[in-house]
Amino acid sequence: MSVITLESVKKVYKLGENSVHALRGVSLEIAAGEFVSIIGPSGSGKSTMMHILGCLDRPSEGRYLLNGKDVSALSRDALAEIRNKQIGFVFQGFNLLPRTTAVENVEVPLLYSRPVMHAHERRERALKALAAMGLSDRADHHPNQLSGGQQQRVAIARALVNEPSLILADEPTGNLDTKTSIDVMQALQELRARRGITIVLITHEPDIAAFGTRIVAVRDGVILSDVPNVPRGLPQDAPVALAAAG
Amino acid sequence: MMALKALIRNRTQAALAMLGMTVGVAALVTSLALGRGAQEALDEQLRAAGANLIQITAGNYKVKREIDTDPEGHIGHTELEPQWRPGGMSAIPATYNPAPRIGDVFAPRCRSDGMPAEIIQAHFEDDPMAIHDHPTARQRLGDASAGLGSAATLTRDDAKAIAGIAGVQHVVSGVHENVRIFVQGTQTQWFTRMHGTEAALPEIRSGWTIPHGRFLNDGEVEGAAQVMVLGRVVSDRLFGAGADPVGHTVLLWHQPFKVIGVIGSRSWATQPAAGDDQFDAIYVPVTTIDRLLNLSKLNSISVTTDSVGDTKQVAKAITDLLRRRHHITGAAQSDDFQVTTMAQQVLGKGLSPDLARAVMGNLSSVDQLTVEQLSASLSRTNWTMLALLAGVAAVSLLVGGIGVMNLLLLSVTQRTREVGLRIALGARGGDIALQFVLEAVLISVIGGLLGIVFGVAASGSLQRFFHWSAVVSPGAAALAVLVAALLGITFGVWPARRAAALDPIEALRHE
Repeated sequence: MSVITLESVKKVYKLGENSVHALRGVSLEIAAGEFVSIIGPSGSGKSTMMHILGCLDRPSEGRYLLNGKDVSALSRDALAEIRNKQIGFVFQGFNLLPRTTAVENVEVPLLYSRPVMHAHERRERALKALAAMGLSDRADHHPNQLSGGQQQRVAIARALVNEPSLILADEPTGNLDTKTSIDVMQALQELRARRGITIVLITHEPDIAAFGTRIVAVRDGVILSDVPNVPRGLPQDAPVALAAAG
Repeated sequence: MMALKALIRNRTQAALAMLGMTVGVAALVTSLALGRGAQEALDEQLRAAGANLIQITAGNYKVKREIDTDPEGHIGHTELEPQWRPGGMSAIPATYNPAPRIGDVFAPRCRSDGMPAEIIQAHFEDDPMAIHDHPTARQRLGDASAGLGSAATLTRDDAKAIAGIAGVQHVVSGVHENVRIFVQGTQTQWFTRMHGTEAALPEIRSGWTIPHGRFLNDGEVEGAAQVMVLGRVVSDRLFGAGADPVGHTVLLWHQPFKVIGVIGSRSWATQPAAGDDQFDAIYVPVTTIDRLLNLSKLNSISVTTDSVGDTKQVAKAITDLLRRRHHITGAAQSDDFQVTTMAQQVLGKGLSPDLARAVMGNLSSVDQLTVEQLSASLSRTNWTMLALLAGVAAVSLLVGGIGVMNLLLLSVTQRTREVGLRIALGARGGDIALQFVLEAVLISVIGGLLGIVFGVAASGSLQRFFHWSAVVSPGAAALAVLVAALLGITFGVWPARRAAALDPIEALRHE
């Protein structure tokens, strides 16, 4: 069953007199358990795609079905609930709350879950998610006491905590060095392998996109190519591939 | 919880916004305290002026009768009435010797440890227990028709019954007489006014100070002790100006009384003067007079009310009670006592008895109105002042509220990214708005509580250092917190709505 179905989605932004066509008719189907890398240069429309896929924005035209349900025309609050329950976000800038411990950061999505969750249950689930990311011993650290990789893994734990069917990663390695980038990507691969979570990765770096099972190239608001990929990420050949990428 | 954590994360700004609220609430609390203090001070002043005093006198001078021919002797013992005065006696026997009669008739009533009668130098003018050419003590004191120059129709039981009326503050029984007193062992003497009274009298006469010793206490009144408090004038005349007479013995009716205190005036406006009724006077327990003169009747009962406004109702209740107790029924039967409020006495002063009688007879309620009008007009002035203070407090609270709003707007701007993140992670608009409103309320309430602390401190200092009367009531404090919380909600709503309406995409891009 498809997790994501986009049917000729268009997105037009009005900037004063001018209209900007960010997406010019995109159709895409992503099945459960896929690791799809969406790649494209800036201005290609990949960010707009990401916002629509993440239910942060609504298409101007066309339909978006998430887990078979049309979410194109839902209300703000209904979209908020879908984001909370079905989608886990991993951002480029980590977006952890400052002066807040790792475990409290992971708890944030649970604060907005309905029905309201007990504090000790929130804490339990957050600790479990942190443990899954190998960060049990960092639970009480503040973001500024963690390395970039650790921060991003806290962010992944936060994306996982509500057990979503889809994780959207928007340039997750943009602020990380190469070695840490590989760690984070491998963590995502592991999630897919162990839990069958569908992962959509937005990036402009081909060697990061190469961690996916399928690569969708976007340019000027349309899909240029959509090809399956043998994911890289075996620990031993990673340095070689990166060295080649420069 | 979340709101509290957010505040702790932004503690400097939160503290500043809180400060605004604290100042506002402190101003509110202080102004309410000052307003209430002023109200209470005003009430106290009215009380001190005697506006809450009710005087009950034996007899009834409103009844139109000739003093000397009235068979019932219903003659009011008031300022307006001429009284029997020992000084008015004409014939003084040169060879007066009261000793046998004292021994026969009166010795059993004297204190067992009192001075032996024979060593006290008898004086014909100051012994109502002895025979004179005027009516004898027995004749003058024995029944209601001839007591102490007035119709003594009131009793101690009447006084006790009056004490049970709701709204009554103090009840003091009184027997009054003009007497001559001596310093023991000397010929130093003074002719003055004697008040048989009770321990609570200074509570009624709030204009008094006690420069030496103390006033009568309950034990002395209960035990009919032979103790005496001197008015300032009496003390000065007998012992020298400014002297401390405490411990000396003064003779009254040949009986030794120990001086235990002196009464002076608190106010420069009322200077003790010879001939006045308060400071050219002596005070002894009313029970001692009862014992020595075998009296069972009183000349007067002084009553104060808890509140100035109650005076009229209490006076009415006393009249009804006494009529019942004295078996006076029907409108035709006139009272054998008179209930006078302070206002009536003020009106009566300086008027000729006839005129006063006419005024009292015809304008029985106008005087009451006067007191109430005075009270109402003072209250209005006070309200004006309170409104002014409340206005100042309202302005400072408004400023405090705007401070809170300012902090929140700043906070929304600074935390745009956080808000965007929370929205992306599934927070609804309501969740975000609630968080900011809660923060506003939390700042306001904590600021408000601090404001109460500062307000109480400020009121206390104003009272201590500037002698302004300020009374902080729990109600005012609760009101202040409530106002702070409401302000928090009011001024928190707009920033909160702005935060809730943020576009998460834009917000997440915000640096």
